[in-house]
Amino acid sequence: MMAQALPAVRRYGIAFVTVALFIFLAATTNGFLSQANFRNILDQQSALLIAASFATITMIAGGFDISAASVFVVSPLFALQVENATGDAALALVVGVAVGLVVGVANGLVVTALKVNSFIATLATSFMVFGAGFLISDRSVLRASTDAYPAIARTRWWGITTGAWIAAAVVAVAWVLLSRTRFGRHVYAAGGNAEAARLAGVPVARVKTITFALAGAAAGLAGVVSSSRSLSALPSDDFSFVFGVIAAVVVGGTSIAGGEGAVWRTVAGAFFIALMVNGFNLHQVDPIWQRVIQGAVILAAVSIDSWTQRRPT
Amino acid sequence: MNHAEALVSVRNVSKRFGATQALEDVSVDFEAGRVHGLVGENGAGKSTLCGVVLGAHAPDAGAVWMDGSTLRLDSPAAGADRGLVGVAQELSLLPAMSVVDNIVLGTEEHWGPFVKDRANRRRVAALVAEHGLEVSLDARVGSQSVADQQKVEILRALGRRSRLVVLDEPTARLASHEAVELRGTVRRLAERGVAVVYVSHFLDEVLSVADTVTVMRDGRIVRTGPARLESHASLVEGMTGRQIGEVFPPKPPAPADDAPVVLRVEGLGSAGAGFSDVSLQIRAGEILGLAGLVGAGRSEVAHAVYGAHATAAGSVEVCGHRLSGRVEDALAKGVALIPESRRDQGLMARRPVRDNTTLPHLGRFAGRLGMRTGEEQEAASRACDEVGVRAQSVLAPVAALSGGNQQKVLFARAVLGEPRLLIADEPTRGVDVGSKRAIYEALNRMARSGCAVLLVSSELEEVIGTCHRALVMRRGRLVAEHAGSEMTEERLLADAFGPGNGAGGGRGDPALAEGESP
Ligand SMILES: Nc1ncnc2c1ncn2[C@@H]1O[C@H](COP(=O)(O)OP(=O)(O)OP(=O)(O)O)[C@@H](O)[C@H]1O
Ligand SMILES: [Mg+2]
Repeated sequence: MMAQALPAVRRYGIAFVTVALFIFLAATTNGFLSQANFRNILDQQSALLIAASFATITMIAGGFDISAASVFVVSPLFALQVENATGDAALALVVGVAVGLVVGVANGLVVTALKVNSFIATLATSFMVFGAGFLISDRSVLRASTDAYPAIARTRWWGITTGAWIAAAVVAVAWVLLSRTRFGRHVYAAGGNAEAARLAGVPVARVKTITFALAGAAAGLAGVVSSSRSLSALPSDDFSFVFGVIAAVVVGGTSIAGGEGAVWRTVAGAFFIALMVNGFNLHQVDPIWQRVIQGAVILAAVSIDSWTQRRPT
Repeated sequence: MNHAEALVSVRNVSKRFGATQALEDVSVDFEAGRVHGLVGENGAGKSTLCGVVLGAHAPDAGAVWMDGSTLRLDSPAAGADRGLVGVAQELSLLPAMSVVDNIVLGTEEHWGPFVKDRANRRRVAALVAEHGLEVSLDARVGSQSVADQQKVEILRALGRRSRLVVLDEPTARLASHEAVELRGTVRRLAERGVAVVYVSHFLDEVLSVADTVTVMRDGRIVRTGPARLESHASLVEGMTGRQIGEVFPPKPPAPADDAPVVLRVEGLGSAGAGFSDVSLQIRAGEILGLAGLVGAGRSEVAHAVYGAHATAAGSVEVCGHRLSGRVEDALAKGVALIPESRRDQGLMARRPVRDNTTLPHLGRFAGRLGMRTGEEQEAASRACDEVGVRAQSVLAPVAALSGGNQQKVLFARAVLGEPRLLIADEPTRGVDVGSKRAIYEALNRMARSGCAVLLVSSELEEVIGTCHRALVMRRGRLVAEHAGSEMTEERLLADAFGPGNGAGGGRGDPALAEGESP
């Protein structure tokens, strides 16, 4: 009943929850309301936002891509090898993104042409990509050899790191692409009802392939930005990055079933989680308890959002 | 058994969806052993009222009474526990499961944790025999035609120990002889003491099956009374508040013999889709009907012409250009399709009306800085108005529209494309009498402006009332052609059933014709 009386709450549930958390932290937590803290949060979220904004689009088109973690780990390894060999940071950046693009295109083709379920397909490619990471790096940490590579994400413009600026630009591109273009409409249609979309002339397979390709490229860029922040990259087979990405997308309220969602939702979801972690840290909550609470809060946020988005009955 | 006592009483119920008052102060009794017809225009609130009774919607005000106390249902499952079951306007079956499994779902015979497959099958077989609704028990539901799926859905409701059964447009997807059979089923149900609520836009059907009729308009009850005191005209008057002359507007003039041929199909065939050797042509300004029984292959032909089904043989030409057999190509050459199933093939239910209307035409609104949404919205509104879509706004999700209005959105989509060839597969399914006329007028307008129309319809009256010429399909082949005054229900039916099964004999064909008239 309440949700019916307040359509704005219904529609923008996650945004309200995030703002409420912000106000709560501002009122209760010392050190939260400071420029340094906000800059820090922005900088820390940059890689996740880059990958998550395009992961949102893939999910709306009806795909589920978990290869973002492997691309995130491996693309900077390729990029740093190129940087070490040529000293050219720009080229390294391009290579890092290209690695993600290649993986994404492969995912898209496997999913649409071979009709493999996208979760399974991207799980399989993840293993291959993780493996390639160990091969290319010879199982060792790679470090930036020039000053230009770290500068990709660490330069400050008006006090904000370029990593955060890149994230803002990527979010804006994804947002416009999804909400303002023909391609965006096709994405919603393909995920909402693939057969109806096909009969309306939407090239469903092509649209889905492109969403995987873009998500791959974005994950590659996220990897480069992250390694540029940390000055190095390490081969691993750690899936945790993609869980963060999916958490942000889903907490935002984008439907795993496809056909519904928005980039702004993912941004809100990412900041909701980031603010919560920030609050824990400022309150010096034991990291082990942080995980437990974080899981519970994510469940609560998703339930509230699905309750408010539920169609009136 | 036929004593009239209210099993379920709806008292002063109001229900609002956002800014739409779907029900306002509605009171009505549904009596055990009676068939209660419910009629009204699209969006009048019929499905909402049914939803309130079944527990799908909670009323904002008022209450539903049963067995001397108010019903508080928080879900359709809770309603089913009390013996209130419904057959929804949109199908809700599990396509990957067998017919038997779908029918017994939730009420399986079991032994501990084990499902007793044979006992279930026997139960369903008995149910099928009892009601004369034939279905193939072991087939996957997803592989069945829409009509058969509808029958499965009805059988599912009949299989529950139900005290009240709501049938929301149960015959919209059935062939006419099946509709007649269903009528018998409904009467038998009532004789056993079940209260039946029967929603339909086929007013003659309602008049012949119902004991009591309630007329709704704009969320209110206009009147409830014995069916024998109503007529087609009185119902229409009650529903719309005005008199509607003929359902069918005058046809546009038949095209001249030298009018250009828009669609030329030669020897089209597809083994997979089960039709062969289909040749036909349609001239500019001509409306061609494709009649036949459900399952005769009409939709398959429509899809093949559109390029949505692969074909093994034959060719399709539109205005002299051969189509490549891809949907994009057909669209680019000015072909539009209104598919048979709005839910599975037509609409993105959770997207706005605007997006659904403009989806195939987005290129037109593409600007350099993304979509010109203002212009798009205006065009969508205009197209929707033209075919009489009643929606709060074109930005509302399609799921918030009533069933008939959803159907009109598909028509608006086709109109917006200004096609040269319109293929309409059952375009007026679930559309009320007044809006049907609006759709026929839109069809005529398109024909007058030179569009060729291929109308696939199971309603013979519709074919006769709107088409210049009709082809009849039987078992995947074109078997007859009738034009002008040669088109009569008897002839179309005889051809649809085939020799030895003709209009004279069989299972009561005169009734069949009667069942068809809206
Ligand atoms: N879930 C919903 N959200 C918002 N509005 C709704 C919803 N369901 C129905 N409505 C609105 O309520 C009104 C009544 O709808 P309802 O489905 O009851 O009509 P109906 O009489 O069954 O029409 P039809 O003959 O087309 O099936 C319509 O204006 C419809 O748009
Ligand atoms: Mg309805």
